[in-house]
Amino acid sequence: MSSENHNATFEKLVQPHFDRLYRLAFRLTGRKAEAEDLFQELLIKAYGKLDDLVAIDEPGSWLSRVMYNLFIDERRRFARQRMHTVEEGFLPGDGLEGFAGTDNPEADQQRYDKLKKLDDALQQLSDDHRIIVLLHDTEGYKLDEIHKLIDIPVGTVKSRLHRARARLREILTTSGTFS
Amino acid sequence: MHTSDNADYSDKRDQEVLELLKDYPMADASAGFYDQALARATHEGSRRQRNRWVMTGFGSAIAAGLVLWLVGGFFLTTPNLPEPDASIPGVAMTLEEPRTINLMFASATAMDGATLTVTLPDGIELAGFPGQREITWETSLVEGKNYLPLELIALTPVGGEVLARLEHDNRDRTFRLRIEVS
Repeated sequence: MSSENHNATFEKLVQPHFDRLYRLAFRLTGRKAEAEDLFQELLIKAYGKLDDLVAIDEPGSWLSRVMYNLFIDERRRFARQRMHTVEEGFLPGDGLEGFAGTDNPEADQQRYDKLKKLDDALQQLSDDHRIIVLLHDTEGYKLDEIHKLIDIPVGTVKSRLHRARARLREILTTSGTFS
Repeated sequence: MHTSDNADYSDKRDQEVLELLKDYPMADASAGFYDQALARATHEGSRRQRNRWVMTGFGSAIAAGLVLWLVGGFFLTTPNLPEPDASIPGVAMTLEEPRTINLMFASATAMDGATLTVTLPDGIELAGFPGQREITWETSLVEGKNYLPLELIALTPVGGEVLARLEHDNRDRTFRLRIEVS
């Protein structure tokens, strides 16, 4: 295959999944800069495995799994170190980078305050619980999709989801988020 | 977005949590990011494939060269130049230009009364502490990730190593950071 054909085939296979993959990257990392890095890393890895990609029935699912594994590998590498330096764009902000206001500043402020408390509560969950609740309840993934993505039994996905929700409810109730 | 199965949010409070989660925002990727990412992937992917070919094609030549170098090493001496330790993370700074370095460390539990000591090499100062080589303060840690911004300034072009030592309950961990100044 010529280099141009190679690139065109690659583009055709991956491009339809860009939005969903970026959303996954953002939900996994919680930061735009990290999400873009993870997305980039995935594309480079996938390009080197184009022969595999061509033969796969569901490239979107395959790409998602590769992205998840890249994220886990990176997290393990990170965990092995005891301290790290963190670039400016990778610092935790308020976690609400994508918050978009409306023409009602008062309502926006109330909504922002609630989302900020949700964000704080999400940060108190373990990574595993946070990822599952965000993928299921925010992104609309089905239990079976999460099971395939992170390679744990559906029953485990369900129980983690249940525990994550219960913990969120508890934290948000304690913080007075609900009237 | 939808929740298609096992919604299991039965009472009002659960519904409120779900509504909040559905509203949890997402930052869009930067403008033009997808195109740039695709271009980088094809460029980098092609480069790696070429490198693989070159490594395969010239592997034996490299091996032969390595043998010659090893043999030659017994007879030739090279000056002992100090090599920077690649295992230590490094940051580049510009002379007399303050730069904030963010240290991150994870704590399994929240803890009060941890002590942090930052030791600086000659020529590097921490903003607000002119002339001090060692600064110690008490801090509280939260469970999970803790971030410590250090605003440093290089006053000479020498550089060196910054040490950050965290102590709590007779346990400690030290972080080393190599500073290069240009």
